[in-house]
Amino acid sequence: MPPALVLDRLDKRYGPVHAVDQVSLSFEPGRLHAVVGENGAGKSTLLKMAAGVVVPDSGQVTIAGARLAPHTAQEAIGRGVGMVQQHFALVGVLTALDNVMLGAEPVRSLGRLDRAAAKARAETVARDVGADIDWDAPVETLGVGDRQRLEIVRTLMRDARVVILDEPTAVLTPGEAEALYVTLRRMADAGRAVVVVTHRLDEVRDHADDVSVMRRGKLVDTRPMTDRGEQTMRGITRDIMGEEPPGALERRVTKPGDVALELRDVSLGRALCGVSLRVRAGEILGVAGVEGNGQRELVRVLSGLAIPDGGEVKAGTIAVVHEDRHAEGLVLGASVRDNLMLGELGRFTSGLGLVDRGALQREAVGRMERARIVPADLEAPAASLSGGNQQKVVVARVVAREDRSQVLVFAQPTRGVDIGAARAIHAEIAAAAGRGKAVLVVSADLAELRTLADRIVVMARGRVVGEFPPDTPEARLGEAMLGGGEAGASEASA
Amino acid sequence: MSERTRGAALATVAGLAAGWLALALLVWLYGDSPREVVADLVGGTWGMPYGVGQVLYKATPLLLTGVAVDLALRAGLFNIGAEGQLAVAGLAVATVASRLPVATPAWIAIPAAVVVAALAGAAWAAPPAILRARYGAHEVISTIMMNRIADAVVGFALVGGLAIPGTVRTPEVVAGAHLPRLEAVGMQSMRGSAVSLALPLAILVALLAAGWLARSRIGREVVLVGLGPIACAAEKIPVARRLATALMLSGAVAGVASIAPVLGYKGYFESGLGAGAGFGGIAVALLGRGHPAGLVLAALLFGTLEQGGLVINGRVPMEVTTVLQGVVIVAVALADARVRSALLWRRTA
Repeated sequence: MPPALVLDRLDKRYGPVHAVDQVSLSFEPGRLHAVVGENGAGKSTLLKMAAGVVVPDSGQVTIAGARLAPHTAQEAIGRGVGMVQQHFALVGVLTALDNVMLGAEPVRSLGRLDRAAAKARAETVARDVGADIDWDAPVETLGVGDRQRLEIVRTLMRDARVVILDEPTAVLTPGEAEALYVTLRRMADAGRAVVVVTHRLDEVRDHADDVSVMRRGKLVDTRPMTDRGEQTMRGITRDIMGEEPPGALERRVTKPGDVALELRDVSLGRALCGVSLRVRAGEILGVAGVEGNGQRELVRVLSGLAIPDGGEVKAGTIAVVHEDRHAEGLVLGASVRDNLMLGELGRFTSGLGLVDRGALQREAVGRMERARIVPADLEAPAASLSGGNQQKVVVARVVAREDRSQVLVFAQPTRGVDIGAARAIHAEIAAAAGRGKAVLVVSADLAELRTLADRIVVMARGRVVGEFPPDTPEARLGEAMLGGGEAGASEASA
Repeated sequence: MSERTRGAALATVAGLAAGWLALALLVWLYGDSPREVVADLVGGTWGMPYGVGQVLYKATPLLLTGVAVDLALRAGLFNIGAEGQLAVAGLAVATVASRLPVATPAWIAIPAAVVVAALAGAAWAAPPAILRARYGAHEVISTIMMNRIADAVVGFALVGGLAIPGTVRTPEVVAGAHLPRLEAVGMQSMRGSAVSLALPLAILVALLAAGWLARSRIGREVVLVGLGPIACAAEKIPVARRLATALMLSGAVAGVASIAPVLGYKGYFESGLGAGAGFGGIAVALLGRGHPAGLVLAALLFGTLEQGGLVINGRVPMEVTTVLQGVVIVAVALADARVRSALLWRRTA
């Protein structure tokens, strides 16, 4: 069978950055093709060019035999290429049905909307891929997983032969991710080409038919997944990083000290309902849970951004790595130097209110080198760094403040971060605990919690619903996360 | 030259080109020769010492209000209220300086006047600053309203006792409070023009403001708050206080702008003196882009256009230079947006 989509020597530069460097690749119908690589490797740019969202500098895209260069997103959709972006393009106040109709509304005479026809069609498509959607619910009341299924259905309703998904599992729980791959497999079995950009190698191992690896804008490898053994996976990791991967984190031997952080019956609106936690010095407590079950609010309380309605927080100074590094972690328009030192200018200020720039520079250089931030340029705006390096900046700042804080809180410390940076960040977290800090890690990535934490608590509907040792199987943790059932999922979007 | 500076320069040149084109077109539509009118405009401003002096005189308050608007802009705030801050400060300065003991020496009178101007400007910016910091009320709305209130208050105060009865002007300030004109301090070639020592003072303020933003703790935090208030709040920088500080400091600098017409030119305050400089400062700040040299150049440009309008008024209405100013601002803003989105696109894609 001829390929559904062929990319021929696509090339794209953004200023000095060669984002995509002469990449040729084809996607076959009926197969699930994973595209992997570190942040900034060019995966998203490549596939956005395929979907007509980004115009290539040179090269051609061939869709079902028709050469298109350059083409628009409209044209790509018309030719059967659909893309589900990382950030959903849904209108929150409209219903699920309104959203899938948007831009392709079936009409009766005199331009009247034919909602019945649209609903029938949406239901057929949804049934085909095994998605169950409440069509009359406003999108803002749906959970993340449902929103994603809605995006997929919307793409399929436009008769997409090629469906591209950009990091679809980054926002999903393990259970939801499994369900997504069931959906994707059905789509492939129906003769579509499915392309998935992902950071997670376990997904490649478990689900992909083909894998392509990108590094620094170049395609370094593309192969069918005929073998899924450890050797193969190590090879893929090596291709991604361009070197031997650093060893996975070794488990620490912990000698927990006194209780350094204690929450007793903390409540905040409807988001937190009597949360009690204790973390000892030298201990890492993992907090698991489906997104939107109070973890975010827990971190806001710990950081002082929200004042609890009731209960008690007992702790010394707390340093926090916030979940949303673009909003709470970084001043994107400011330099790497200012971001590494954010909030600490007071310590570098003389009596006249002037900043001692030499001392500030020395400290910033030290932090930058320790965290191995690339590029090593303190003047560069934080916005110009890759996601992984941005996160390194935030972590470096918090870790550097260790001597003035007893408790470190990390919310989603490696979300959207490539393997190399994630391992470096994990090492920093473990080292901080090793030096006697009480550490709280909130993460949607169960593998991360199982690697790092000494204990894992699961949150659902604003409560702590269970505590588990780190070697608890993911399935068991996932069950506890969903313990809240339907209500948990609906509150997730509130 | 950094990519950003180059982009800014490019946008400015493009904006100026569009402005001159519009001027030429207007003049041509009036049936005059664009070449001759432009030659007149240039000759009457930069072509003769008096013209240069007048351009510098017009540029002085524009530079200060430009610095004022820029200070607020760096904190992410739009101070539309420089106009009112300047007017209130002008009245305060003239009132105080006219009531000083007659023999007050300049070294006391002038610093005292500058302080009064700054305090009055800051005081007029205080309500919007507090409303913004405490309740999040948008400063654009509140500073605009304060301009209207300033109009009324200044008029009321003049009629109500601060003016010489039967006029709308205050008494003359004491001799020591007069800012010497440059012609009196050795630059005789500028004879007749109103440019005074307020000009070097304005340049000093521009440099001080830049230094404060770059070197002081509070200044640097103001800039950081302007770029990312949420992250700053998360790191316990007092965001509300920094915003209030920036807006009141902006008001203080706008207030100081009043000394150029009051102490450097008229020697008293009258209704409408210095009007327009507050709004002109917005244009200067937009064109100057947060750099002291950029602010000085922008102030000179708009000073030239203001003076140039008077020069060519005999041939075409002086409003053509107002049109030119408007076109330059819009064109630069447009070109700037293009450049900025191009830079941003590069970063995020």
